[in-house]
Amino acid sequence: MRADAGVHFFGIRHHGPGSAACLVQALEALQPAAVLIEGPADATPILPMLAAPGMKPPVALLCYPKDDPARAGFWPFAEFSPEYQAVLWAVAHAVPVSFIDLPSTARQPEKKAEAAAGKESEAEDGAEGAAENEAENPHAQHEEAPPREYLDPLGVLAEAAGYQDGESWWSDLIEHNPAPGPVFEAIAEAMAALRENLAETPEFEALREAHMRRAIAAARKEQEGPLAVVCGAWHVPALAAASAATRKADQARLKGLPREKSAVTWAPWTSPRLARDGYGAGVAAPGWNLHLWRGAGARQDGNSLWLVRIAHVLREQGYLVSTASLIEAERLAQALAAIRERPRAGFEELREAAIACLFGGESLLWERIEATLLLGNDVGEIPPDVPLAPLIEDLQRQQKATRLKAEALPQELSLDLRSESGLARSTLLHRLDLLGVPWGRAQDAGGSRGTFRERWQLAWEPEFAVRLVEHLVHGPTIAQAAAGCLLEQIRAATTLDQMAESIRAAITANLPEAAAEGLRLFEARAAHSDNCPEMLASIPPLADIIRYGEARATAAAQHLAPLLERLIVEAALKLDYAARSLDAEAAAQLAAQIDAAHTGIRLIEAGEEILAAWMQGLAAVLDDEQGTPSLAGTAARLLYGAGRLAPEAAVTLMGRRLSPGVPVADAASFLEGFFHATATLLIHDAALRQAVDLWITHLEEADFITSLPLLRRVFSALDQSERKRLLAAALGQSAAVSSLLRPAPDGGAGWQAHFAMLATLLAEEHARKNDE
Amino acid sequence: MTELLRLPAEQAYASELETLARGDEGQKPEGWKLSPRAVLTYLLGGKAADGTVISPKYVGSRRLMETAVATLATDRALLLLGVPGTAKSWVSEHLAAAIAGDSTLLIQCTAGTDENQIRYGWNYAQLLAQGPSEAALVETPLLRAMRGGSLCRLEELTRMGSDVQDTLITVLSEKMLPIPELNTAVFARRGFNVIATANNRDKGVNELSSALKRRFNVVVLPLPTDMAEEVEIVVKRVGETAAHLDLPVPRNVREEITRMLTIFRELRAGATADQKITLKTPSSTLSTAEAIATLVGGLSQAAWFNEGRLGAGELAASMVGAIVKDPVQDKAVLEEYLETVLKKRDDYSAYYTALNEAL
Repeated sequence: MRADAGVHFFGIRHHGPGSAACLVQALEALQPAAVLIEGPADATPILPMLAAPGMKPPVALLCYPKDDPARAGFWPFAEFSPEYQAVLWAVAHAVPVSFIDLPSTARQPEKKAEAAAGKESEAEDGAEGAAENEAENPHAQHEEAPPREYLDPLGVLAEAAGYQDGESWWSDLIEHNPAPGPVFEAIAEAMAALRENLAETPEFEALREAHMRRAIAAARKEQEGPLAVVCGAWHVPALAAASAATRKADQARLKGLPREKSAVTWAPWTSPRLARDGYGAGVAAPGWNLHLWRGAGARQDGNSLWLVRIAHVLREQGYLVSTASLIEAERLAQALAAIRERPRAGFEELREAAIACLFGGESLLWERIEATLLLGNDVGEIPPDVPLAPLIEDLQRQQKATRLKAEALPQELSLDLRSESGLARSTLLHRLDLLGVPWGRAQDAGGSRGTFRERWQLAWEPEFAVRLVEHLVHGPTIAQAAAGCLLEQIRAATTLDQMAESIRAAITANLPEAAAEGLRLFEARAAHSDNCPEMLASIPPLADIIRYGEARATAAAQHLAPLLERLIVEAALKLDYAARSLDAEAAAQLAAQIDAAHTGIRLIEAGEEILAAWMQGLAAVLDDEQGTPSLAGTAARLLYGAGRLAPEAAVTLMGRRLSPGVPVADAASFLEGFFHATATLLIHDAALRQAVDLWITHLEEADFITSLPLLRRVFSALDQSERKRLLAAALGQSAAVSSLLRPAPDGGAGWQAHFAMLATLLAEEHARKNDE
Repeated sequence: MTELLRLPAEQAYASELETLARGDEGQKPEGWKLSPRAVLTYLLGGKAADGTVISPKYVGSRRLMETAVATLATDRALLLLGVPGTAKSWVSEHLAAAIAGDSTLLIQCTAGTDENQIRYGWNYAQLLAQGPSEAALVETPLLRAMRGGSLCRLEELTRMGSDVQDTLITVLSEKMLPIPELNTAVFARRGFNVIATANNRDKGVNELSSALKRRFNVVVLPLPTDMAEEVEIVVKRVGETAAHLDLPVPRNVREEITRMLTIFRELRAGATADQKITLKTPSSTLSTAEAIATLVGGLSQAAWFNEGRLGAGELAASMVGAIVKDPVQDKAVLEEYLETVLKKRDDYSAYYTALNEAL
C-alpha cells in the first residue's frame, strides 16, 4: 500500500507539538505532490493565507453559513498545530494543499435550532470541540452514548499500557519520542486494532470519513506523485481502507448533503481560548505545548528550561526562588519519573516537583501562576487583506432586520420597549454601545430605566466599522462579541460596583449568558469582600435590574434576588464598622452611598426580614459610640423616614445629640446628616424644630460662627419661600393661631386631631400671606 | 500477644513488610529495605508479589505519596506539612518503617529542645574524668541515623526555636556533622535521611527558618476532601475516645456529627456544600481532629450535665471555641455565616439559636 507514489497517512494528535515535529520531518522525507488535511473543504481557497507574512498564530478558521453567522464554527490553529505546520510546509514547497473534511455547512445540520433557542455560545463551543479533537469527541448530535473506546480511544490504549490517563501516555509515546519514521505506522496499527473491536462507526463520523475518502480519491486522479494525508489518528484506518466497495457506499452516503453557501475567513485567536477544560478537549496547556514545540522538548535541557520559566514567573510575582532549588526540583522530577516508570520527566512530574521544591508544598501558589504559565497571553494577528469581517456582515443583516439605516447625520429615535421591534432596536443599540460603537446615544440616560420608552440619537461614524472588526476575537456575531467583551470587563473589574454596573449593562443589552456568568463572578467576589462601601454601591444597580427587569424579559434576575438580599444583610452587618472615624469627605461619600442603597432597598420592596436587617444596620450606626456624627445623622433620618424611629424618640435623640455636652462640630455634623436634603422637615415638625432651635440659641457666638458654613449647607436646600416659612415658624408666628380657637371640651379625640391639623394649615396660610 | 501498649510500625506490620521484601524485584536505593514502588504499595495498600493483600496505611492522594517517596530517594530531606489531624506523623512513621526498617530514631521537637538534643550531648562524668573523647559523646537519634545510614524523624519541627532549627542546615546540605571538640566530623552513610513534620496553621509555633525551608522538599497533606469519608473518621474516633473515657454515646451522635461537620467543612472550604454560596473562612483550621475534640467535649457535657442527651446546646460553646480564634474577625465571619446561611436551613435552627447564644 505504501508505495512511494501512493497515499501516505499521517495520524496526528490535534495540537500535539510532538506530532507536529514528526510530521514536518516526515513530509520533508516524503516530498509529497499534494498535502490533504482534515478540515472543512469549503475553506481550501483561503488555506494558503495561513502562510502569509502578516499571519501570526494563534488564529482560527471561521466558517459560517452566509446568512447566519450565529452558527459559526471555529477551527483554531496554534504554532504547534500539526495542521498549521503542514500548511506552512506545503506553501513553502509550492505544493497544492487542501482541506478534505465535510464542508462547514454540512456539519452543523442542527445548529439552527440551537442558535434559535439563544444558545449562541454553545453552538460555537460545539464546533470548536469537534474541530479540536474529533478523535476523542464525537459530534454532539448523537443522542445515544457511544462506547468508551470511541469517546476516548487513547484512554483505552493508555490503560492497557498502565497509564492513568491517555494524555500522559501519548506524551511519552509521541511528544517525548522524537524519533521519526515508524511512529506513524505504529499509530495506524494501534488505531486499526482498536477500531476492529468496535461496533459500527456513528453515522456522522462515517459521513465525514466518506467525504475524506472521496476527496483523497479525487486528488489521486489529479496528482501523480505521493499524497500526504494529515488527519486525526482515529481516522487513519478508515481512510486507508478505501476500495471500490467503499467508494460506492460513500457515494450513496454523501448524496443529499445539505448545500448551503458558506463564508470563510480567518479570525485572530488568543492562547487562553485555545485551552479548554478537561480531557478530550484539545489543549490543556498551550504554554507547555508551545514550550515543547519551540524545540525545547527535544533538547536535553528542556526540563530545566521549563523550570527556569516557572522560576521567572514566580520571581516576577515577588517570590524568592534560588537556582539551587531549581536543581533540586529537576532531580525530584527525575526520581518521580523513575518511580512512575516513565521514560523521562513530563509535565506532571515537573509540576509536582516544582510544588514540592519551589512552592513549599503549596499547590495554591501553583494555581496562582498556572494561568500565566500554561495559558500564556499570546494574541494572534491576521493580515489586513483577509476577506470580509463577519461582525460587519452581521451588523448589516441586523440593520435590515430592525430597519435602521446607518446615516452620518444625527437622527432622533424614540423606542417603545413593549413592542418587539422597539426592543430589538434597543437591544442592538445597547450591544453596539458595549462594543465601543456609540452609533446611538441614549438621550435620557438613567431616567429611562423605569419606563418603557427610550430616546436615542443616531449618528454613524466610518471608524465604527474598524472598531467592530477589532472585536472579532470575542465572537463572530454582535451578540457574542458584546457578551465576550462585557465578560472581559467584568473579569477585569476591581470593585463590586463596577461589576454590578456591567451586569446591569448585560441585562439591558439582553445578554443573558454574560449576565449569568457575571453574577456568578460577582457572587464569588462579594462573598470575599469586606468592603462595605463597595457593597452599598452595588446595591442600586442590582435593585434596578430587579425593579425594572420586566421591561426586558430576563431569567438572570430571578437568581439575583437572593444574592441581593444576602448583599444587603452583609452590608448592613458591616455598616457600623464602615461608618467609624471618617473625615468629612469620606463621610459625605458614604452618606450618599447609604442613601442610594436605601432607595434601592425600598425600590425592590424587600421582605420584612431583609428590611429589618438593614434597619438594624442603620440603628447600629446611630448607636455606635465611635461612629461619625454626620453618618449617625443620616442613619437617624432614614430610620425616621421609614417610621422606625418614633417622633418622640426622634426629638429625644435630637435633644441628646445637640446637648451642650456634645462638641459643637459633632452636633453640627449630626444636624447636617439628619437634615441633608430634607430641611423642609423643620418647617412642619415643630418638636424637631424646637430641639434645633434650642441648640442654636444656646450656642456661644464664636461657636455659632464656626458652624455657620455647615448650617448654611443644611438650609441651602430650601428655596426662598421655604426659608421664609421656616423663619416665621421659628419666630413663633404660627403659635398665634391657637390662642383664639379652642377645641370644644366634649369634642372627643377625633376632634382634637382635626383641630391640630387645622391649626397647622392655618399657620401655613398665615405664613404665605406674610410672604406676599 | 505483646504487653506493650503500642508497637512501632515495623513490628506491627512486620509480616506485610516481610512479604513485600520477599517479592520485591525493583531496584533499591542504597540503604533501603524496599524499592520505592514497594514502599508505595505498603503505604497505599495493594497486593504483594505473592498476592498477599497489603492494608492501606494512608487514604488519600497517590501523587503526594509518590512525591514523598521520590524525595527520599533523591537524598533530599522531606517535610510533611499540614494542619493537625492530617496523618503527618502516621505517614512519617510508616515511611521510616518501610524504607529503613526502623521508625524509632525520633526527636520530638519542643520549645525546650536545644542543640545538644539535635547534634550530640556529653556524658559529663566522663568528660570531666577523661576530657573530650568519643566515649564521652552522647549520640542523638540524628547522629545515630547518620552513622547507621538510617532515617531520622523530627516531629513538630517548628515547635523548636528557629535558631535551633538551623542546627540542621549543615546536616541537610553537606550530610555531615562537625564535632569541633574532637576535631573531627561524622559523615552520613548512604541511606541516611530526615523526615520532618510540621504544623502550618497552629498557633504557638515558630516560623520555619527560610534557610531550612530551601533544604526540604515539602509535601502538604490535605484535609479529607470527601464528606462521607470524614464523617466515618470522626464517628470512629469519637467512638474510640468515648469508650476510653467511659462516656456513653447517644444514638443521635451520627446526625449531630454530620450537622457539625457540615458547618465546619463549609466554613473551612469557604463555600456551602451545594457550592451555591461563597463564604469567608475563619482563621481557625477546623480540622478533622478539632471536630473530634469538639464532639468529645459535647459528649462529656451531655453525659455529666444533661443526662446523656446530645444536641446543639451541648456542642455550641465548644464549636464557637473551635471556630472563633480571632475575637474580631472570626466572630464577624461566623455571624455572617449564621445570618446568611444557617438561618435559612430549617433543620439547623437549633444550631442557629444555640450558636447565636454562645456568641
